[in-house]
Amino acid sequence: MEDKARKTIADLVLAALTLGVAAILIIGAQSLPPPRFEPLGSAALPRILGGLLIVFALIIAAGVLIRHRSSAPAPQQDTTTPKVDPKRGALVFIALIAYVFAVDVLRVPFIAATPLFVIAAGVAISGVNRRGLIAFAALGLLLAVFISTVFERLLYIRIG
Amino acid sequence: MADAFIALFTLDNLTFLFIGTALGIVVGAIPGLTASMLIALTLPLTFHMDPVSAVTLLIGEYVGGISGGLIMAILLRMPGTPSSIVTTFDGYPMAQKGQAERALALGIMASVVGGIISWGFLAGMSPSLARFALQFGPWEYFTLVLMALVMLAVLSQGSMVKGLLGATLGMSFALPGIDSSIGQARLTFGSDALLSGFGLLPVLIGAFAISQILRDSATPQTIGDMKLPSRHLPIYRRDLSYIPRLVRGSVIGTWIGLLPGIGGNIAALVSYSTEKQISREPEKFGTGYEPGVIAAESANNASIGGALIPLITMGIPGSVTEAILIGALTIHNLQPGPLLFQGAPEIAYGIIAAYFVANVLMLMLMWGLVRYIAQIVRLPRSGLMAVILVFCVTGSYAVNSSFIDVWVMIGFGVIGLGLEYCKVPLGPFVIGFVLSPIAEEQLRASLMMSDGNLAEILARPYALLFLALAVATVAWPAIAKRISDRETTGKDIV
Repeated sequence: MEDKARKTIADLVLAALTLGVAAILIIGAQSLPPPRFEPLGSAALPRILGGLLIVFALIIAAGVLIRHRSSAPAPQQDTTTPKVDPKRGALVFIALIAYVFAVDVLRVPFIAATPLFVIAAGVAISGVNRRGLIAFAALGLLLAVFISTVFERLLYIRIG
Repeated sequence: MADAFIALFTLDNLTFLFIGTALGIVVGAIPGLTASMLIALTLPLTFHMDPVSAVTLLIGEYVGGISGGLIMAILLRMPGTPSSIVTTFDGYPMAQKGQAERALALGIMASVVGGIISWGFLAGMSPSLARFALQFGPWEYFTLVLMALVMLAVLSQGSMVKGLLGATLGMSFALPGIDSSIGQARLTFGSDALLSGFGLLPVLIGAFAISQILRDSATPQTIGDMKLPSRHLPIYRRDLSYIPRLVRGSVIGTWIGLLPGIGGNIAALVSYSTEKQISREPEKFGTGYEPGVIAAESANNASIGGALIPLITMGIPGSVTEAILIGALTIHNLQPGPLLFQGAPEIAYGIIAAYFVANVLMLMLMWGLVRYIAQIVRLPRSGLMAVILVFCVTGSYAVNSSFIDVWVMIGFGVIGLGLEYCKVPLGPFVIGFVLSPIAEEQLRASLMMSDGNLAEILARPYALLFLALAVATVAWPAIAKRISDRETTGKDIV
């Protein structure tokens, strides 16, 4: 039952977001000029794709309604897949945002930010222990030195 | 062709091919990491490379990435790549019976034979197919792209509507930016950052690498007990009797690889099922039977050669990996398609030559180092993921030395994760993104040529054929269901 509810919510959110993207395409296409030099014009594809997205969103929403009305049991959950811990994924994502924000906006040097990010992401995935912290710090530092050397010496790109 | 081999045999090109193949095998061996992710991550490094070297590196990664998957499929029943799922059916039972080395030897040999037979098709068919494709005009190209996209969306795993939705969303995200036909900003909503649109690389890295790493980091690592194989991989004279099976698997793999959206896993499955059906001992399949490993591995590797044929002759990607390869070529101002053989023959034939040599290198590397490659899975995954994330950030940044691309990559990572959560396949999404500009350009050119008359398509037999195939692909599931319902009702009445 839980799986059926999750699928219903996911499909409804997907249909709503798809309608949102369709609205952006159609509204954006309104400000584009009519065709002048060729028959199709700039606004045609956004309108066509917007229309298609609306159709697909409605089909998905209708599917949810039909499933909701029928009493068909939800497909059995796959018990062979390992249990997912979304908290760890969320922590890695937050660490990634903080890392890019630090290098881009706060102008933290790449060589300093990278080991901190590797520690944060590594700890978020595998948990905290002293040996792990040292290993992640060393790995991060080596990686930062390696990448900045390759980028600056070979590709002439300065990060940050 | 001989010139292509001569051009390939420079120290630089061979080194890049070797590095690419080795990296591909390592990444392919690690469950969860795929060849497409590796190719997307190394793409920024190819900007500054000679186009032939860039292509050899990426082709090596592709071949190595698909082949490496068999190692963990046999030793741990954890396919390194989706293409190796079928290899687990007989490879793992063989390993459990103490025949891991034999299964690896057969798997590697079958992979190489599959690769080389499909190379024969690639080398033999591509130039003539490219010459044939030169007859195509904008109508044919538009309908061909449409057909490829529809087939990809419909044949992706899961719901057909969600496959088509993925392709349409991908096409929609390719719209913002300057409309090159009239030089007008489109869907930028006043943002200067959107004037150049969403870059291919940040979109690819975000949708594939970031979303996958975030998903994998939420899943605990479960590595079972693994007995390392010995250095000796046994192969016998009697294995020559497997030649017909190898040829059959390779031909099936090549032809399935030609079709957009099907991929190596289905090629392996079809080859395995065919072999089982025609076998005198079908009951042995799934119990550690050698022909099972041969059927799966010859077909999944052969599908690469098959998929490269429409890529280099018509510029049509059959899978995400080929879409990334198209991106790599366009970065070097090369347009895959029939003109590639005339405009840049060193690249067209270079791809063909590199594919052959990559298979030979793969054989040498896997045969000699399989014992050591198998140990990679024991490396702590947390460190590996953190390292890949840093490469994602620096790779996206390197495109334009801009953090906007990095934020775009993160944004598409979230979109990719959301789409996967809602069971919308990512393949059609990314390929829709890649093919949208080509489809629009060809449709506009077609309408300009015919003064806006859509009926002109009726006078173009190939365009009509492609359009009919696209419609048939969408309609087929409903027709098949109706036929099956009618058969069931008929049986019930009887």
